[in-house]
Amino acid sequence: MVGNKAVAYAVKLARANLIAAYPITPQTTIVEYLSEFVASGELPAEFVTVEGEITAQLVCLSGSIAGARAFTATSGEGLLYMSHALHHTARYWAPVVMAVANRSVRTMQPDHTDLLAQRETGWIQLYCENNQEVLDTGIMAYKIAEDDRVRLPVAFALDGYVLSFTAEPVSIPEQEKVDGFLKPFKSKYPVLPETWDAELEEYKKHWQQGKGINEPFTPFAGDENFSHLTMVSWGKGHDLQWRWRAHQEAMMRAKKVIKEVDEEYGRLFGRSYGGLLEEYRCEDAEAVIVVMGTLASTSRVAVDNLRKQGKRVGLVKLKSYRPFPSEEMQDIAKRVKAIGVIDRNISLGEGGIVYGSIRSALYDQVEKPKVLGYYAGLAGREVRVRDIENATEKTLKAIGSGVMDSTATWIGG
Amino acid sequence: MSKKMSIRDLRKEEVMWPGNPACQGCGGSIIGRLIFKALGRNSARVEVASCAPGFMNIRVPSFFGPAFEGAAAFMTGLARGYKIIGREDIVVAGLIGDGGTADIGFQGLSGAAERNENVFWFTYDNEAYMNTGGQRSSATPEFASTSTTPVAKMSRGKTSEKKNVPMILALHHVPYVATASVAYPEDLTAKIVYGKELRGFRYMHINSPCPTGWGTDPKDTIKIARLAVESGLWPLYEILDGRHFKLTYKPRELKPVSETLKIQGRFRHLKDEEIASIQKATTENWSRLLAIDGKDIF
Repeated sequence: MVGNKAVAYAVKLARANLIAAYPITPQTTIVEYLSEFVASGELPAEFVTVEGEITAQLVCLSGSIAGARAFTATSGEGLLYMSHALHHTARYWAPVVMAVANRSVRTMQPDHTDLLAQRETGWIQLYCENNQEVLDTGIMAYKIAEDDRVRLPVAFALDGYVLSFTAEPVSIPEQEKVDGFLKPFKSKYPVLPETWDAELEEYKKHWQQGKGINEPFTPFAGDENFSHLTMVSWGKGHDLQWRWRAHQEAMMRAKKVIKEVDEEYGRLFGRSYGGLLEEYRCEDAEAVIVVMGTLASTSRVAVDNLRKQGKRVGLVKLKSYRPFPSEEMQDIAKRVKAIGVIDRNISLGEGGIVYGSIRSALYDQVEKPKVLGYYAGLAGREVRVRDIENATEKTLKAIGSGVMDSTATWIGG
Repeated sequence: MSKKMSIRDLRKEEVMWPGNPACQGCGGSIIGRLIFKALGRNSARVEVASCAPGFMNIRVPSFFGPAFEGAAAFMTGLARGYKIIGREDIVVAGLIGDGGTADIGFQGLSGAAERNENVFWFTYDNEAYMNTGGQRSSATPEFASTSTTPVAKMSRGKTSEKKNVPMILALHHVPYVATASVAYPEDLTAKIVYGKELRGFRYMHINSPCPTGWGTDPKDTIKIARLAVESGLWPLYEILDGRHFKLTYKPRELKPVSETLKIQGRFRHLKDEEIASIQKATTENWSRLLAIDGKDIF
């Protein structure tokens, strides 16, 4: 099945009961498949055909607050238009799940800049290599998002066209097994009028006892009511830095949760993806390349080819960009002598986003490997096996060379 | 159609606690109290950027500031979510300012109305962005001086007419559209009591004098609102299914618009010919409404 259908199956198997989305190529057929599931009665859900992406996201947010398991999907420009609302969903700690069919802005073709540009919104971001991983990640995303230690929205990404419209064999898990893996969703917000007073009192007491952000989960941390009704003065009520601290701490807890969920999924369904990142032929590697999304498949072939030539190279497939697996990258950095980061994105004025994150994560290492940067596949530009081989060989050759300059290389102009 | 009520028919139970930081004479705060008194406690409240989140003392599940442009979206999601958990009985009510309705929130509002979402939207219209210091909105009336349409050598205040949102909503053919005024709580309550029992998208547009922004004496809030109705500047009506139109209050004779304009700082600069032009437009509009009163329109 095509990637977009894999997304739709994940949503159906997860029994999402609120879907709100607006069409945009190459995401559109996700919504079409879901509307068919809802129309045929296969998926009992509220389906809201909204008039724009901001509405799509906010419908999911408030629906989730009320108690719905919410889903939306978008792409490229639609995601940028939705950006404001993404912050709100994250600030409310609403475990909404969203699929992003990556699309470059002002072209139709894929790169990861659309979703990476949302990295400060407070969403968890997971990137997928193939359609099977898309389906599995869609189900895992709800488990991660709804975990009490996390309770944050999750976006999972599939490269537009390359996955969204390309058919691959995909195994669909049994519904009963997914039901065992993913329990029904319940909101933690006080939403019922009859219990409203009591719940607010309870929450006030909770906070006044000095509990709050040190708790694994602050029940309604994103809710403005909290600041209005529990803080004495306006000044105090508007000192809300604790929210960012609490959110950061939840993000850090998510690292463990993502790994646990991936392991549990592996045990139940026989497929797992290494948690935050996956290493491929890295055991005795001297140089590794780091990629996200479909470039991983191309890179596997390149690594195999170079291994046949006796070159000790490996691949690191970065699955989770938010939270960023700093510790895992540090561990890899201790074992290898050079890392080549291939960015299918760019932060104009600085450079590759993943490249920057990895170099930052390694800064405190006493013995640092060389870290080289490459740009490839922006605006959907074709990336060949040979291109990856070249980048990998260049990375390998950097070992033992003198001072590195930090400019990255453009693959394919 | 709503059934006429007397002020004595208003519910005794208050949903609003005493005390909030609204300005003296705030029309919006009174409207908040009246709306939730009429709806009762089995309701939920949505507010976006406006003065309304300052009316923090309304005791129903409340959600503030989910994106200025997102009132309709947030109400939609909440209503659908309540349906999913089997609580469609809870009335999802939005207390939204004129900016969140007529300007930045307009796309979402139109979308939710077209989808006929099961929500009750209340616009408390103080005719400018009062929470940010009184900038003009598309609900600001012509000639009004605001902080972005200041009267000076080259400017006579706002140059365009007020956007007529209730009529635009009526053209969406939603179950219920009504106007109301803070000076007529029995009319406002009667309309809410009627609208609350309906399903689908319900819209109420309420005149909400703002002493701070309009340059009026706080004690005159009700007086100004009453004069607006009595002069035909703020007609009270309801529209069922976007078709059946009814005026709910018909003064025997309209008072001159100058009576209400002259006690508002924002209109202090008006010349006689400008007042005459407002008078002419108001009288014409009133006769158009009288002509369709009790009839099917559109």
